[in-house]
Amino acid sequence: MSLILLLLFGFATYNGLQKVEKRKSDILAAKTEVKENDVLMLKLLDSVERGLSVNATPWTIPTSPMAVGNYHPRVAAMEPQPMTFISTGQADVFTHYVKPTVRSDDFALNFTEMTSPVQLLFGSFDLAFVIVYLLPLLIIAFSYNVLSAEKESGSLRLLAAQPIRIQTWVAQKLGLRFFWLSLLVIVSLLVVFTLLGLSFIVKTTTFFGLLGLTLTYMLFWFAIAFLVNLWVGSSAKNAVALLGLWVTFVLLVPSVLNQLGNTIYPMPSRNLMINEMRNLKADVTEKQDEILDNFLRDHPEYALNDSTQSRGFYHRYMASQELIREELSPLVSSFEEQLQKQQAWIGKFKWISPAILAQESLSKMSGTSKSDYEDYRKQVIVFAGKWREHLIPFLYNNQDFTQADYKDLPTFNYQPNSYSKWMASFMILIIGFCLFGLGLLRAKSLGAAGILK
Amino acid sequence: MISKTFLKETKELFREGRVRIAFLIVLLLLGVAVWISVEQYQNTNEQYAAAKNAEREVWNNQGEKNPHSAAHYGTYAFKPKYPLSLVDQGVDKYTGTSIFLEAHKRNEAQFSAAADQTGLARFGDLTPDFILLFIIPLLIILLGYNSFTKEREMGTLTLLKSQGISSFKWLMGKWSALFLPIFTITAVVFLLAGVLLTNLKDFGVFKWNSLLVMFLVYVAYYIIFINMVLLVSSLVKKSGISLVVSLSIWILACLAVPKAASNIAESKHPYPTRQEFAANVLEDKKKGVDGHNPWSKEAKMLEEQVLKEYGVDSLHQLPFNFSAYRMQKGEEHEAEVYFKHYNYLKEQYVNQSRVYRGLAAISPYLPTRFLSMAIASTDYDTHWDFADAAETYRIATQKFLNDNTAQNTKYGERGYKASADFWKKLPAFKYDPPELTSIIDRNSSNIGILGVWLLASFTVLFFTSKIV
Repeated sequence: MSLILLLLFGFATYNGLQKVEKRKSDILAAKTEVKENDVLMLKLLDSVERGLSVNATPWTIPTSPMAVGNYHPRVAAMEPQPMTFISTGQADVFTHYVKPTVRSDDFALNFTEMTSPVQLLFGSFDLAFVIVYLLPLLIIAFSYNVLSAEKESGSLRLLAAQPIRIQTWVAQKLGLRFFWLSLLVIVSLLVVFTLLGLSFIVKTTTFFGLLGLTLTYMLFWFAIAFLVNLWVGSSAKNAVALLGLWVTFVLLVPSVLNQLGNTIYPMPSRNLMINEMRNLKADVTEKQDEILDNFLRDHPEYALNDSTQSRGFYHRYMASQELIREELSPLVSSFEEQLQKQQAWIGKFKWISPAILAQESLSKMSGTSKSDYEDYRKQVIVFAGKWREHLIPFLYNNQDFTQADYKDLPTFNYQPNSYSKWMASFMILIIGFCLFGLGLLRAKSLGAAGILK
Repeated sequence: MISKTFLKETKELFREGRVRIAFLIVLLLLGVAVWISVEQYQNTNEQYAAAKNAEREVWNNQGEKNPHSAAHYGTYAFKPKYPLSLVDQGVDKYTGTSIFLEAHKRNEAQFSAAADQTGLARFGDLTPDFILLFIIPLLIILLGYNSFTKEREMGTLTLLKSQGISSFKWLMGKWSALFLPIFTITAVVFLLAGVLLTNLKDFGVFKWNSLLVMFLVYVAYYIIFINMVLLVSSLVKKSGISLVVSLSIWILACLAVPKAASNIAESKHPYPTRQEFAANVLEDKKKGVDGHNPWSKEAKMLEEQVLKEYGVDSLHQLPFNFSAYRMQKGEEHEAEVYFKHYNYLKEQYVNQSRVYRGLAAISPYLPTRFLSMAIASTDYDTHWDFADAAETYRIATQKFLNDNTAQNTKYGERGYKASADFWKKLPAFKYDPPELTSIIDRNSSNIGILGVWLLASFTVLFFTSKIV
């Protein structure tokens, strides 16, 4: 038993850590690359400023603010959290760093990662999977026949003659199992974490959050086992009932809730969004000059007083992009709104299955839940705007980008989403206690004779 | 003897409440799943048709425009949904549905449904494949876990032994009693699916023989489970233990092994990140002709080569516009670069598939899953096929546009615009999914693995289960 737990936890934690390692090294590589490019850029700028001729494609020379904006983007990275290894969550679907350029559209920024869809289909063997899916099965395997085995071997009648109530006795038996299993889980987790060199001591609150959640989730399943033991009859029937409940809570309720959420608040079609965007772009390309005029009227600070300067491709392009962004923003945000509605709807019903609560909470602990990625996406879009707005005055004032301007370039700092650490544990605890209460009530109404039958 | 055992078992099964309830639940779930899938299928296909037509309209009505501007403006290839996706959604949710086809760049399919869904989506969807792959094996366990253990527990085993019954015949009776209800429910489901599909509007390329092959794959999968459940039931002494052991097998085969396989495959043969991939492509692109850059070393080399070939000494004397020719050469170089890098991805995926096939030795779920997706045209291979077709179309489109400029303009001429009715001459993008025979060909190893499972499970069942 302890060996199984050690193996499961060990393999899952190892997998999680590997993913985190890869993520870290990917981000680091991207950042190093940008640093190296920056050195080259500064060298080029230096040469240009000293009036030397440079050997580079004309439109990539960084004196042009648009060249900086397009060919020297910053890395907007989502650094992993200390406990990210717990749950893969949505980490395999979404990317952890993007480099927004001045040319890219917000909606075209691709936040999905290059992953084989087969991998996404199967999911990942992470700690969250072991806790949410497998741990309940271990509990079921060790507690489905607590009462029925005594009944079947005939020792229950002897027991009934003792001055102890049967429900108390079942509760005690299960309590003892809960205690030992909890101890095993805690020890195995500690052993695995220590062996794999994890500094869980640094992040004590998150570590205790993980333990708290795991133990309350286990308690919930013991409560279910308690109920089934009192309610149902023979060992085999108990096992079938418990497994049915496992399938219901872990597989069916989540998929039905998800399906209903999708049906009630369906996502608008991305393909139709593309159509909309295309029509708009076609319109905009035709009216580029007009759009630039309007843009300049709205931005008198960019007025040109020098007749030797002119307006080029990028002046028109950036003005049109601004317009497209504005026009499309209701359509783009309709996706966000619909997603929020779905999430709110699921939020209302997720307590039906503690498996959902546990999974969601573990993902949040890891910083890999859907809301974390949504949050990251929003931060990146804000940053992309900053990047654009920093360089646009250069463009419209026909001002060269210089070495001195380098240090003012905006950088991206990811702010992790905050979440309540104890909410899910608390909810599961309440559900667990309610089930225990229900079990005790049931036992009372049945009476000793009823249970013996 | 076989028929007697069969009749007795069947009667017993249908007398039991748990069986009736379980059947009812499975049927209900299947009904709901099919209904939802039909709705989604129709919805998606309507949107697909609308998007496709609208996009073509946009392309046709560009008006007078420079062909290369049109190339940058680009067009879209949309991925249709195929009839059998009704039965198995496969990886459709995780792959994008539209590919932007533009000059100089091969784009990946974007906007996967999974990226637009809540975290709950990762638990799985209530679709027919979920029920066929996960729930029906559970039903088999539920029906069969106590086939032999109950005889022991009720003491009927001694009676049977005293009758001098043949172990084989007894087993066959039990086996067929378990097989028949499962076979019936599967057959009904597939028959319904077929009828539904033929009655749907624009059911496209639906063929009954694909459905039949898919049905056979599932039947084989269920037979493997029946064999395993009966084997366990004959080897252990108590029903409860038999149930727990069978269930562990189910969890291992359907949940744990696929997940572990995906982890192993990823750590052994990783994909580059999207940004890395883009950086690598850019690196290689720089090594060849860039259509927009006449000053590069590669462009100069191309110039010399073409001048020599045509025996002229200035670009003005060429019978075509060299700028457009260079643009096309650049396009061809870029296409080659993309071909190389996407091929690397494919190689990684082939390696990953090997991991999946290796682990199929402990999970019959894996070959079944892959086969079912392949037949439904919702697997990763079909997606690659579609992406490749879109790329071929993109390359042809670029040639079509560049050739127009090359033939209608002179070197150094600026501001050329193709006439407004030129765009209609570009043939529309068309993609047909692979035929059943080529699917079977491509998945022969999965069929082989499933076959081995089938044979091995029968052999082990017949030789190790000495019940009497």
